[in-house]
Amino acid sequence: MTDLAAAQRRMHDALIFPSADPASAQALFAGDGRLGAAGGLAVYQRGYFLRIAACMREQFPALCHALGRALFDDFVADYIRDCPPERHTLYDLGRRFAGWMEANRPDGEAREAWVDFMIDLARFEYAVFAMFDAEGNEGRPFATADTPDAALRLQPAFALGRYGFPVGDYYHAVRRGENPALPAPAPSHIALVRTDYVTRTVPLSETHHAFLAEMQAGGGVEMALIEVSARFGLDLEEARRSWRDAHGSRDRWIEWGFFVEANP
Amino acid sequence: MAAAEDMLAGLPRLGLGLGLRSVHFETILSGEPQDVWFEAISENFMDSGGRPRAVIRAVAERYPLVLHGVSLSIGSSDPLDFGYLASLKRLADEVRPAWVSDHLCWTGVNGRNSHDLLPMPLTEESLAHVAARVRQVQDYLERPLILENPSSYVRFAQSTIDEPDFLGALADETGCGLLLDVNNVYVTCFNAGVDPLAYLDAFPCDRVVQMHLAGHQDMGSHLIDTHDRPVRPEVWELFRLAWVRTGGASTLLEWDDHIPDFDGCLSELRKAERYMAGESAPLEAEGRAAGGEGVSNPVGFIVPRAMDSLLEDAA
Repeated sequence: MTDLAAAQRRMHDALIFPSADPASAQALFAGDGRLGAAGGLAVYQRGYFLRIAACMREQFPALCHALGRALFDDFVADYIRDCPPERHTLYDLGRRFAGWMEANRPDGEAREAWVDFMIDLARFEYAVFAMFDAEGNEGRPFATADTPDAALRLQPAFALGRYGFPVGDYYHAVRRGENPALPAPAPSHIALVRTDYVTRTVPLSETHHAFLAEMQAGGGVEMALIEVSARFGLDLEEARRSWRDAHGSRDRWIEWGFFVEANP
Repeated sequence: MAAAEDMLAGLPRLGLGLGLRSVHFETILSGEPQDVWFEAISENFMDSGGRPRAVIRAVAERYPLVLHGVSLSIGSSDPLDFGYLASLKRLADEVRPAWVSDHLCWTGVNGRNSHDLLPMPLTEESLAHVAARVRQVQDYLERPLILENPSSYVRFAQSTIDEPDFLGALADETGCGLLLDVNNVYVTCFNAGVDPLAYLDAFPCDRVVQMHLAGHQDMGSHLIDTHDRPVRPEVWELFRLAWVRTGGASTLLEWDDHIPDFDGCLSELRKAERYMAGESAPLEAEGRAAGGEGVSNPVGFIVPRAMDSLLEDAA
């Protein structure tokens, strides 16, 4: 290892594990400045955590509200110790947060509902955050009411989520400045879709979620109707009518920009 | 890259510019064009498939633009990240910036990223290492790289070269240009207990393509490079000298926290005209900062705050 690599490794370790071997890290630096070696290094150590914690609070505003800032920051401190940032973009910071929370549950073996809610909320908020910057269909045509079913495909800025709590309701309540109570467990299915750089959260029924998941997996409308009807014991003709009714899902979802028209 | 030096000589003098910040997007794109240019943080736009990419394209159509990176990590002992460079090059090809800059620093090692601009041990080994990487980057991007002096709070005990000499040698060896951050000069020198005028005297001003101005926080014992307040008089005074010595290099105001409205930023930027005309800074004593210590090198999350409003509940 070169001297440069050794010095950088020691300094970087001192940022991630500030208490591990302070004397070794401080020995890297001259002591002749106004801050001294320890004081100068402390500026970087402090900045490392505060910068990332601020970004994480922006990625997970509802989770931060739910936990309270102090507890949220404690979780972030443990998270970046275990999962130091890997990519050049700050947008990637929260990618592993929900998985890390699941693997490091504070309730241990005795699972508590509030922990499940926090993990679900983290998954939901990262999905919302990712949707802001995802590849989308802006500047290109969307499907219209005249698009044949066989040509309907989900647009690229579209995501589905399945949760054990009403995370969307909680998230929007926090965004409105409210102080909602932690919700009781209840299944929740949500679509995220972005048009003209506006992301919508769309609550779905379980059957609608299953239908869109089939389409996301590559099936067309007819195949998705057949699969969902079979899985939920629905009459296929009734499902087809429900899809195409004047107030059915088809027109509403086309209006909201769920679909593009596939090339013939 | 043999042509880097020639390309450097052809770069324009852009006058006064502002850092492109999300809180100003609406004003910049909806208002009357201003006599100003913008510097965009590359990482906030280069991987975007959403609104940020649309915004930077629109800004580039209306204003001169440069790209300023915070994650190239030119000094790291890790291999260069060619995925990062490919993304940066795609953005540069799309928005055609006047130039692309980053910092003389490293941001991580062992595949990890600190998201800070960490100082280099200034040694012959580091110089050879960074020079080789600058050549690689310039060859890949097909343009000269412009490198900035970072603010720093420590000096490596193994350092044997002063920062101005290091940057001068790097520029000579690679043909790269330099971004002289005047506030960083002041912050680094104050914290190191050395004279900023001596630093400026030693700096290779003939290689300076661009300058930065920003505010810092005075903690009494030391300074923090916070970019969250007006430029201090001591920095304006240093800028007055640097303006002459660089022959009027393009000058940009950075503001990254507690950001005023667009007119407020423009007003602070226009103060530079007094010092460009040779006026000295007032010797008013500004007190120590109230409140807690700010965060150094704010390389922040610039885009999502503005995007936050773009979310609807279709319930």
